[in-house]
Amino acid sequence: MAEEKKEAAAVPGDGAVESKRAERGGISRRGLFIGVGSTVALLGLGGLRYAGHNPLNRPPGGTDEAHLVSGCIRCERCYEACPRKVIVPAKIEDGLLGMRSPMLDFNTGNYCDFCYEENGGVPQCVAVCPTEALELPASYTVGNPETGETGDIVIGTAEIDPRTCLAYRLTGCRDCYDACKYGAIELKDEGGANPIPYVIEDRCNGCGACQAVCLSLSSGSIKSNERAIVVRPIEA
Amino acid sequence: MKTKNLRTIIAAAVFAVMAGGLIAGVSTGTLSGFGWDTIAALCPLGALGTMIATKTMIPRAVISLVAMAALVLLVGRAFCAWLCPTTLIYRIRDYFRSPKKRKALAEQKNAEIKAISQQELDSLKPAKDAKDAKGHACGACGKCQPVKHGKLDSRHAVLGGALLSTAVFGFPVFCLVCPVGLTFATVLVLWRAFSAGDATIGIILIPAMLIVELVFLRKWCTHFCPLSALMNLVGRFSRTFVPVINDEKCLETAKGASCSKCAEVCQFDINLRHPEFGELTTADCTRCRACVDACPTKAITMPVFAPSKKKGAVEVLEPSLEDLEPKLD
Repeated sequence: MAEEKKEAAAVPGDGAVESKRAERGGISRRGLFIGVGSTVALLGLGGLRYAGHNPLNRPPGGTDEAHLVSGCIRCERCYEACPRKVIVPAKIEDGLLGMRSPMLDFNTGNYCDFCYEENGGVPQCVAVCPTEALELPASYTVGNPETGETGDIVIGTAEIDPRTCLAYRLTGCRDCYDACKYGAIELKDEGGANPIPYVIEDRCNGCGACQAVCLSLSSGSIKSNERAIVVRPIEA
Repeated sequence: MKTKNLRTIIAAAVFAVMAGGLIAGVSTGTLSGFGWDTIAALCPLGALGTMIATKTMIPRAVISLVAMAALVLLVGRAFCAWLCPTTLIYRIRDYFRSPKKRKALAEQKNAEIKAISQQELDSLKPAKDAKDAKGHACGACGKCQPVKHGKLDSRHAVLGGALLSTAVFGFPVFCLVCPVGLTFATVLVLWRAFSAGDATIGIILIPAMLIVELVFLRKWCTHFCPLSALMNLVGRFSRTFVPVINDEKCLETAKGASCSKCAEVCQFDINLRHPEFGELTTADCTRCRACVDACPTKAITMPVFAPSKKKGAVEVLEPSLEDLEPKLD
């Protein structure tokens, strides 16, 4: 009512001004265009859910991939919280859906000890995650580097590529074997001249210590995109 | 110091601290979820999104939503003017504009606002001529009409679209393209490129998305931002620190001169003098104080509590109406 009165009382003036006033009355054409366009764009973006992305090594509590993708708002707090700085944002190359979500990068030269050393076995990334995208079950045990227990929290499983592993070239390299605290790597021909490591999958919790120390890319002239021992996500 | 500079300094300082924390691994969080240790103030849209997507109540998200609603109730969309990194990006964009373009844009806005102001003042005249008329019969100063915040605009459609998509596909869709998140992502991706030699298309794509949103989409904050839409829904109930005009000082009401400087400087398209002509209302006021600074007669203040409005038409004092005649002819 007030609106109508105002229109009636207003002196007919310059058209541009009048149309501007009318615009506030309802949804303008531009508003409609933006609203519909954006909704379609956002629904399209949502369709990325079906496009998926390459499997990634997730931080502890992030192994339920669907839950992580649903909960993560990319606030980047877990990167900051990680005392070893192994949590990094996933790249676009691994799929748009997972872009900027947290993944573990053991090529940084460090690995995940589930905050055993730093926080008594309570992973700090899980503790700071405000949306519970990283979430652990009510009761769990983490890998214990002192007793060598594997624990229930499994990030992935280490895998050795015989084509690039230096030990297979009879160099005597056994860095991964030395790095593993859980007895998940054993040596064929231990004590012999050329021990060759292999993974005991049941004992591996994917902590990445082996990948972090692997020298295959930095020493020798091996052409490969990845180190000779890498942690593969469980789902892969 | 001009409030505009103060705002830039505060936003830049907060951004620098958070970006620094991100790089150094000090737990400060980003604007999407800032806080210390296990305490986090979550982005309200992120909090809503993550709860809709996971279909669970998340205590920290609920607490954040309540806290944010309380803050918006107190200071409106102050986040937008004082903290949001997009204001910094807009200032950088303005800096790179040619002086010619800057002048042209300023003149265009000035002409537009002046035309509204002039037209509204003109409409005062017949009211004044009719001797028996009490007060005036138009919406010249917006005082006669109750302020209506009830409208929804394109931003709310974007908000609806974002939440719908989140519900359908089960993940916080808007977070992928949120300019606030993308700003921090840019910092991180660039830092990783230099520190860890981490080459990814993201170095180009992430800033490119930001540029598309903030430069190519016209007026992101007013037309698109779903976060601003969410804050608008609460901000319309805010009664604190809302700018008010003292009509005895205002050039338009006291002297009948067309001015509307307050509308001209408002970055968020509010017309304080003639509210019905602004694209947004004080529901979207960011408490940036640009209008307070710009007012030539210092007629605008931001009191803690706005003085309660009298019901019905507000009478403009007779003597001030007498002043109209010479100015308008």
